[in-house]
Amino acid sequence: MTSTDRDNLMLPARGIGYRVFTVLVAVWMTVVVCVGILGHISNLPILEHTARNLYFHVPMWFTLMLGWFVTAYHSLRLLVTRRRIHDVRAEQAALVATVFGVLGLTTGIVWARFTWYMGTNIWWNGDPRQVMVTVQLLICGAYFVLRGALDDERQRARLAAVYALFATVTMPFLMYVLPRRMESLHPGAEGNPAFSQMDIAPEMRWVFYAAAVGFLMLFWWIYTLRVRVRAAEIRVSELADWP
Amino acid sequence: MAWLHGAIAVFQKDARLELRTRFALNALALFVAAAVLLVRFAVGNAAVTPPMAAALLWIVILFAAVVGLGRAFIVEEERGTVLLLQLALPATSIYVGKLAFNIAITLALNVAAASIFWLLVGPEVHALGLLTTTLVLGAVGLAGATTLLSAIIARTVSSGPLLAVLSFPVLIPLLFSVVRLTQLAFEPGATWSAAATDLTALVGYGGLMITASVMLFEYVWRD
Repeated sequence: MTSTDRDNLMLPARGIGYRVFTVLVAVWMTVVVCVGILGHISNLPILEHTARNLYFHVPMWFTLMLGWFVTAYHSLRLLVTRRRIHDVRAEQAALVATVFGVLGLTTGIVWARFTWYMGTNIWWNGDPRQVMVTVQLLICGAYFVLRGALDDERQRARLAAVYALFATVTMPFLMYVLPRRMESLHPGAEGNPAFSQMDIAPEMRWVFYAAAVGFLMLFWWIYTLRVRVRAAEIRVSELADWP
Repeated sequence: MAWLHGAIAVFQKDARLELRTRFALNALALFVAAAVLLVRFAVGNAAVTPPMAAALLWIVILFAAVVGLGRAFIVEEERGTVLLLQLALPATSIYVGKLAFNIAITLALNVAAASIFWLLVGPEVHALGLLTTTLVLGAVGLAGATTLLSAIIARTVSSGPLLAVLSFPVLIPLLFSVVRLTQLAFEPGATWSAAATDLTALVGYGGLMITASVMLFEYVWRD
């Protein structure tokens, strides 16, 4: 492979499949939001209608995780192939993941404040999931700070990829070791399953699944769009550098 | 075993240079002493419970480590010896040599910090063996996580606070385990079996960080 192939940021044109996919995501998410807000739920004490947050808060976590795994995957591919497009993909996936992570953290904090900690003044609690997502967001932040501190773009791509992979290595500790060692009110903590028969009403289960799939598809749509925009931006800026 | 000889050579070079000036060691010792004194004044006459003592001790160690350990590869850039090292030795040798030197420095730092802390803040040490093990494993984990990151920041334009930004998120699992173990050592009735899970987590963390670093160092080191 020549170096021009490696630096090539031209992406092939989108086919009909992608258009169908975007229409599907738009319709799917609209239905999920409508059913999520208007649909029937088991109106339990304490939780009451905040249970609807399940459809939005939990899928945002999934999206953060998927986004970071996409970043890690493309970081690995970058180190192996040295193709510049993987750097663009890794950066944009981390960006979209960070946005969804902040949303997931915020919805989680507000939800906990008005259910578990009703009548107290606790906004920030030591819940392991909260700690975990905060650490993940710190890693995302550090990733962008590192990118900003590097001038040469090949070096930036390579070192950012190394950092992304290095940070990914600590995730088993954050996901499996710490949550099982800390006390928590969160479903799925201390080794108990999160979505067993007891935890979720049957009529909510299918909406939840649909919301999870919908959010992951929404991530993919935003992410692929952002990759195209960023690649085009880089190409334009390099075109302007020519004499 | 050529790479091992290379690693030993790198370690000896760094140790010799350090012993000539003692810059890093003196700076770290003073940093730790000043930081613990600050803790002492800030705490005042309030009673320091074991959980508080453990947390304060490790906060001091963590900040001292990111100040002191960031230098490992920056000095090579400053002296202009990077190219020579790249020519002379394979990447793994250089990483292992630097890691060994960083572990030695961190170990000295941990022991110094714990001693000064014990002297000035005065937590009761009930399990000295457990505390020593924690300090040693903590040093391996700290050095294992920061050596690769210090190689990354040596390549950046302004490396000032960058090591702290990059390493703190990665160090949180380590901090969690060492603080619990230290707390255990400060409380009466500590047993090894109560500490087993956290000790295993610590060993796992150090091993994971060093393995990942060995695999990734090549990409940081070579252009």
